[in-house]
Amino acid sequence: MSAPKTSKALPPILLIEDEPSVSAFVRAALERRGYKVVQAKTGADGIRELSAGQYVGVISDIRMPGELNGADVHHWIQENRPELCRRIILISGDTANSETQSLLSKSTTPCIAKPFRVQELISTVEITFGKP
Amino acid sequence: MRRRNIIPKRATRTRRNPKVKGGSRSHHALELIDLVVEAAKSRELPAFLAAFAARAAVMLEAQWGVLGEIRGSKVELHCDEGSRSHLAECQGLLMENVTRKRAGLEVLAGKRRSTYLAFYPIYASDGELMGTLCLLRDVAEFSASEERLLAALGSHATLVMEKIRRFSQLERSKKQWVEDIDAISDYIVVHDQGWTIVRTNRSLATHLGIPPVALVGEPMSSLKHIAETGSALPCPFCRNTNQSREEYIATGEGRTYLVSTSRTQGATEEEGRTIHVLKDITDRREAERRYRELFDSIQEGLFFATPDGQFLDVNDAMVRMLGYESRDELLRADVSPHLYPTPAAKDRLVQAIAERGALRNYEETLRRKDGSLLHTLQNISAVRDSYGHVIQIRGLMLDVTEQKMFQSQLQRERDFNQKILNTTQSMILVLDTAGLISYANRRCFEAGYREEELTGHRLVKWVEPSHRKDFEDALQTTAQGQQVDNLELRVKRSDGSMGHFSISLSPMRDESSQVNSVVVVMTDITDAALLQAKLAHAEKMATIGRLVSGVAHEVNNPLAAILGFTDLLLENPEVPPSAREDLQIILHETQRTKEIVQDLLSFARQKPAQREAIQLNAILRQTIKLRSYDFASHGVEVSEEFDENLDNAMGDAQQLQQVFLNILNNAYDAIQESGNRGKIRIRTRRAVDCIEVAFIDNGTGVSDPDRIFDPFFTTKQAGKGTGLGLSICYGIVRAHGGEILCWNNEGQSGSTFVVRLPIASDSALAAAASEAGR
Repeated sequence: MSAPKTSKALPPILLIEDEPSVSAFVRAALERRGYKVVQAKTGADGIRELSAGQYVGVISDIRMPGELNGADVHHWIQENRPELCRRIILISGDTANSETQSLLSKSTTPCIAKPFRVQELISTVEITFGKP
Repeated sequence: MRRRNIIPKRATRTRRNPKVKGGSRSHHALELIDLVVEAAKSRELPAFLAAFAARAAVMLEAQWGVLGEIRGSKVELHCDEGSRSHLAECQGLLMENVTRKRAGLEVLAGKRRSTYLAFYPIYASDGELMGTLCLLRDVAEFSASEERLLAALGSHATLVMEKIRRFSQLERSKKQWVEDIDAISDYIVVHDQGWTIVRTNRSLATHLGIPPVALVGEPMSSLKHIAETGSALPCPFCRNTNQSREEYIATGEGRTYLVSTSRTQGATEEEGRTIHVLKDITDRREAERRYRELFDSIQEGLFFATPDGQFLDVNDAMVRMLGYESRDELLRADVSPHLYPTPAAKDRLVQAIAERGALRNYEETLRRKDGSLLHTLQNISAVRDSYGHVIQIRGLMLDVTEQKMFQSQLQRERDFNQKILNTTQSMILVLDTAGLISYANRRCFEAGYREEELTGHRLVKWVEPSHRKDFEDALQTTAQGQQVDNLELRVKRSDGSMGHFSISLSPMRDESSQVNSVVVVMTDITDAALLQAKLAHAEKMATIGRLVSGVAHEVNNPLAAILGFTDLLLENPEVPPSAREDLQIILHETQRTKEIVQDLLSFARQKPAQREAIQLNAILRQTIKLRSYDFASHGVEVSEEFDENLDNAMGDAQQLQQVFLNILNNAYDAIQESGNRGKIRIRTRRAVDCIEVAFIDNGTGVSDPDRIFDPFFTTKQAGKGTGLGLSICYGIVRAHGGEILCWNNEGQSGSTFVVRLPIASDSALAAAASEAGR
């Protein structure tokens, strides 16, 4: 995987997170590093955004209210946007959860456990999506 | 002979019968004829003999004549009145010569001249001497004609004497017969073919209140009132005249008669006689009837039987007992093969009677007609003849089937109750109203109590002192008739330990409904109480787990924001250094919060344990090694009491190491707090169906062993622990299918933690393998 070299060439990151304080902090951290961020509050919103626009990658919470959770979004991408398959980062408040465990064990998708440090987020994003 | 030619010359002088005057032969013939006529008329022998002697004296010209009659050894002299005076003169001589059996002559010397006493014997036709004719004559010799006359007279006397003797004999026997008949108490009546009474006996006449002869000549119909026989014939007692004999029972005037009839055939039809004998059997019949009534009304079976057991007579009760339709049915068939379930039983009975004569309370099982069994109790006696042979057996039979059944049912119930009493897992005791033990079931002794500790002692002394009042109150309540259920008390076990017992007390009453004892059922529910506590604990922990999981998740989001924004602030160069220090504190505390939440989550949601065979001794040694430096430097001695042949346990080595480490840390902290010289014993052993690891320390002990595994329960100083360590241990061990327990050491300081884990059996390993492959 080769990271894009200019920020202008880089499409935004789609952040799917229902918790406003968490998405605020993640967005702030990413934007300070030069990433563009588009936010979605639910899994369904996220999929709608993915269908409409171009994204460098997707950061999604696993447990979310509504019909579609992080695992469903992950599944949808694999089916409909295979090029983003390796550009997904999952964040979770409960990595010990057996559902989360089974989802993570089936793929190489990186997962960051809440609460996490800014540095932890940025390094995972840079490795997965490339630097802006 | 000396009597020859003795001619009585003066016979005429002494003649008394004028007919024989002249003394010629024709006279003699006439006189003989007279004698025959006289004899024919005569029935009385003495009169005839006197007349005969007088006539012979006349005919043979004697002064007088006497006939000495011989009857056996007795002699009787017969003569007419005129000659009687002479008898006295020569009675001795007469008596002497009467029995001489031959003719002869005695001379009687007189003053002027001699006289002669001639004797002539008279023989019966069979040659027996019947008597002797004695004549006193003046002359000694008899002339030839006199001799012939004497012979003729002699033979005539023989004939007449024999005739009269026979006749009187007949008379006598006839009279005797009548007397005999009269002596018979039965009524006898004889009638002829014309239904006329010919004879009756005195009994009948007396019964009718009339003289015996009064009935003779009367018609038989006059006796109709004596007894009602239903006969249509003129004689009330004749039923069938064609039979020579009849016998039947008839009643009349309140009496019962056995009427026996005989018919004799006469020479002609008219001479035929019918003899009725009426025997009054009223009393006998009554006695028989009473006997029969008693025999039949008695409720016990009565029987008469032959020596080999064949019934001769039985009563109704016996018939009923054996289930037959009637007495006849029981008597008819040879029932004994059916009656005795085994032939040997009958033989045994017959033999026992023959040997002992009588059997008392002899128990025998018989078979009824329908095949069902009858249990009997018999009293049997043998009747023997004069030779001692048993000729009959008589018995009384009681039906004890119900008693037997009742008895066996009682026995069954007793056995059943005994079994319940002996096999129940509860201790059952009976106390008197004073509380003294009078009975204890087998379970009490199996539980280790000794007979002498219980019987006669007060049960209350086994109850923990603080609970004794409760027990005494319950006993009081029960003694007043009320049941007390499920009283939970602590009671001392036989080994001295205290157990938790559920106790129920029930009153037992005597016939007059007075409570005379109390049944105490005691069940050791210590284990049950423990199990219940464990279940409740597990339930509580599961609830806490769900709660914690939810809370942790919710806390992580704001924590993520706090941590994130703190990081962002710290990145900001515009933040002054003083604020930066504060932010570092926020960062640190946030990190600590994160750890707590992570512990909470790992307690609530254990990672699935690896299932493999593990050697706990090795894992324990590794764990001890991790802390060995600390322990050694603080003087805490760890002793390993390992079973070196310990079976493998089933589990996750890493997770279990975490558990053991946690327990060791806990023990270490408790020791540090106590200030004791530390000692931790670690013991491994194979228990019944698990591997058991015990950690025994001599620290401060646990303030509340029941709550030690609850999350956030800690006795440590603030900041020293999260209070989740043992909760996580609990979660891990539970996830292994094992259990973790804690208690304070009895009688010494410190506490004991026990971890029990499943054994790695082949089946457990196979199950784990198949689960992993899914």
